[in-house]
Amino acid sequence: MANQSIPDTPLFDRNGSIRGYRINKMAMSLGQAANREAFKADEEAYLDRFGLTEEEKKAVMSRDWHEMVRLGGNLFFILKISAIDPTPITRIGAAQAGMSHEDFLYHRLGKRAAHG
Amino acid sequence: MAKIIGGLGTSHVPSIGVALDKGLCDTPDWKPFFDGYEAGKEWVREAKPDIAVVVFNDHGNTFFLDRVPTFAVGVADSYNPADEGWGPRAIPPFEGATEFAWHFVDKLVERHFDPLVCREIEVDHGMQVPMELFFGRPEKWPVKVVPIWVNTIQYPIPTPQRCWDMGKVLCEAIESWPTDERVVILGTGGLSHQLQGARAGFINQDADRAWLDGIAANPEHYRNMTREDYVEQFGSEGAELIMWLVMRAAMNEKVDLVHKHYYAPASMTGAGMVVLENAA
Repeated sequence: MANQSIPDTPLFDRNGSIRGYRINKMAMSLGQAANREAFKADEEAYLDRFGLTEEEKKAVMSRDWHEMVRLGGNLFFILKISAIDPTPITRIGAAQAGMSHEDFLYHRLGKRAAHG
Repeated sequence: MAKIIGGLGTSHVPSIGVALDKGLCDTPDWKPFFDGYEAGKEWVREAKPDIAVVVFNDHGNTFFLDRVPTFAVGVADSYNPADEGWGPRAIPPFEGATEFAWHFVDKLVERHFDPLVCREIEVDHGMQVPMELFFGRPEKWPVKVVPIWVNTIQYPIPTPQRCWDMGKVLCEAIESWPTDERVVILGTGGLSHQLQGARAGFINQDADRAWLDGIAANPEHYRNMTREDYVEQFGSEGAELIMWLVMRAAMNEKVDLVHKHYYAPASMTGAGMVVLENAA
């Protein structure tokens, strides 16, 4: 498939898979309870175990969902980071879209009342 | 011989499982969604299947990027629900239809497919949620299962035509299986949604509604679409809909659309289901 043929729609292709391998591998590991505990106990040390670059560590530690995806993170893996300090997926979506959460719910998802 | 008693299509959004776990089904956000599945559940209770073949994708829970099978088939005795980061869910393990699953693998390879054959593996919400939507939350699942995993995460994902072809082999495997078991096939995923990129939150209700009718009456149209067409019309993750084609191809050319339901948004997704029966 041609890459980037649809605007604002990154497909997780070979480049993303190669670039995001470290972040995604670290995120995948959070499917195990013991690893979640280790992550919570010392986040930076945990990220170092997976060889994340400074740029990648910064994105993860600041929960910058847009940046994590830019660096090759795939939503399905990094959702396991969002389970650590529970973040609704709609907030992650809003960060991707560059919108406030309220605007995202209302304009993108068509919720009638963003607070409802 | 075994018999295909119906084809079910459904979304498998993880938030549906969360809503079930947290008892949110009667909240305004979720009630219209769950109410629409009652007809599907009732159909399953009446139809009494023995085996459920569930076509779904893993979401980075059991397969990592170190090895990505385009198609995988489970031949395990049982499948535990995967921990997706939130802790294990309180749903029973799934008993495998081991003998039939091996027969299906034989047929696939005879017909020039090369599946990964899985003897010990867990299943994520891609399979859990469809089973819960159609079978409820029993203490023990009333059917044995055959999981079929389709890679829809890392490109290249398989073509719609290839999913269709697999459905034809599935039909052949069921119709040549020398038991009187009743088989239901679940094609899962979708409908429109996009989780990544600046177009995140994309939902296409018109395309979703057309899909629910079209998958029954005019599947050729969807089989002939490219993967790019799927991404454009249904969003990057909405391309999961190609997995419904495995189910649809296993059914007869003419089917009755017995039930359908649509609701949006379920979390960030256009969500819905169909129940199909082979036309008399």
